[in-house]
Amino acid sequence: MSAGVRPRRGTMPEERVASRPEVVAPPAPSEPRPKRPFLLDFVPLEGPDQTRLARFFERLREGRLATTRCPRDGELHWPPRLACPKCHQEELVWVDLPEQGRIYAFSAVLGGAPLGMESDVPFAVGLVDLDGAPLRLFGRIEGRPWSELRIGDRVRVEPYDVGDGRYFYRFRVVG
Amino acid sequence: MSGRPVALVGGTTTPFGVRPTTWAEMAQEVGAALFRAVPALRAEDVDSLFVGAAEPERFAFQSHVAPLAAEQMGLAPRRILQRTELACASGQSAIRSAYAAIAVGLSDVAVAVGIEKMNLPSMAEANSAMGCVMDRPWDGPHGATAPPFFAMVAQRHMLEFGTTPEALASVSEKNHRFANSNPHAQFYSKRFARDKLLGLPLVAPPLRLGDCSSMPDGAAAVVLVAGDRAAQYTDAPAWVRGSGQFSNFHNLAHAGSLSEWPGLARAAREAMGQAGIEARDLDLAEVHDCFSISEILEYEALGLCGRGEGGRFATDGRGDVGGDLVVNPRGGLLGCGHPLGATGIAQAVEIQAQFAHAVPPSRQAPAPNWALVHNLSGSANVHSVMVYGREAAA
Repeated sequence: MSAGVRPRRGTMPEERVASRPEVVAPPAPSEPRPKRPFLLDFVPLEGPDQTRLARFFERLREGRLATTRCPRDGELHWPPRLACPKCHQEELVWVDLPEQGRIYAFSAVLGGAPLGMESDVPFAVGLVDLDGAPLRLFGRIEGRPWSELRIGDRVRVEPYDVGDGRYFYRFRVVG
Repeated sequence: MSGRPVALVGGTTTPFGVRPTTWAEMAQEVGAALFRAVPALRAEDVDSLFVGAAEPERFAFQSHVAPLAAEQMGLAPRRILQRTELACASGQSAIRSAYAAIAVGLSDVAVAVGIEKMNLPSMAEANSAMGCVMDRPWDGPHGATAPPFFAMVAQRHMLEFGTTPEALASVSEKNHRFANSNPHAQFYSKRFARDKLLGLPLVAPPLRLGDCSSMPDGAAAVVLVAGDRAAQYTDAPAWVRGSGQFSNFHNLAHAGSLSEWPGLARAAREAMGQAGIEARDLDLAEVHDCFSISEILEYEALGLCGRGEGGRFATDGRGDVGGDLVVNPRGGLLGCGHPLGATGIAQAVEIQAQFAHAVPPSRQAPAPNWALVHNLSGSANVHSVMVYGREAAA
């Protein structure tokens, strides 16, 4: 990406690929999050002044996990992108991703957590195959202790407020 | 292979461990040790310096480390001075860059040094440093670090092939035992029997403490020279005979099947192809056992056994002294600790020492002619391979 390229915010056409069979109430905001030096904070800066992918975070706020797709070659991206890695064109579309999937692999962090995540320990993480989309996403898995998780368990995407108004996503076990 | 022959003519390491010393002090220490280890080396002969350092910004609050290292080591490179960063493979990247520079004639005598200071007053801050090796804004907020990733690799390998915790412990026991003969290893004086390993606490299930390499401080350095100069420095060089690398992802979403590393198979094929050898010709290998499960996938990807047979390869001792070849005789990352930038260099130091029969008999490969070094980096995003021969190419 050359330095002189102007952002083209809001110009990506919208498109829905996944049906949304259930409307999930947004989770309660997390505990207020202490302000951390930028270089020790894993959560990205999400505003349109900081990233050309701000639409991703706007959609998260609406309860939708989205990404980009290349209309030319059909490539579905993760994470969302500005230019297609296959054909390198920049006219991409936003699409919502399926809201559920199944655990492909998981583990848990029982110690050695990064700064700011120490009090989350123990926490489960895993790779989830999304229903009907060729994507396997990594994320936290909430709703069940790690020792009771199984490969193949069904989870749903859960956007959440990280505690300072920024949004991120995680998975929650269904049922 | 094209280009001039390149020989690794000497090297050294500092002790690895939790050390009361700074990044720059380790540069001085390893520089002094290098000149002791290679008595014929004169500072003015060293035209190039490659500095393998993964995260000095995060761990030592220091950028621009190449001139810093040169100054600390008492070197004044006049041709190429640069840092090489490839996370866990930063050290091998320094060697590979030195090799390339010499092969094409840009350098005649180059030092490749690896230095990493990893112990911080705050362990959480150190873990954050390791977390930003991953795709930080996308995988990082979930708490992605190496242990849970390699734990998932182990989980899938166990599910698909029936690999057992005992197989993991076999790898760890072997490498810790080898480390007991290496005074510079972090766990030189600690014994880890298989039963003890299986009882250590879980870090990221199914991986236990003994399945995970540590984050120590350490440095290592080697000298590489154009082949026609090798005899000035040693009568027992290790010749660079092949080099390969492959990368196909960074974000964890693109890891593909977790139970195999085809990228390593490809990099190794390339490196061994250049040398004109196959896996069965290897007498020893220093492979990247950042976690015990890694070595098991590496046996398979290198072609030392079939897919899914790595666990059995471990429990049968085929990577031990008396087996098919000796794997990780230095003590591995598990036994030595893994100061990111230093690891790949220290592995090469072991190869030359093995060729020279200069290591204790308990870890000496019998009459070695061919050796392979492997580093992966990040969540096995990149596989980097070097092949060394005891003889120069004919």
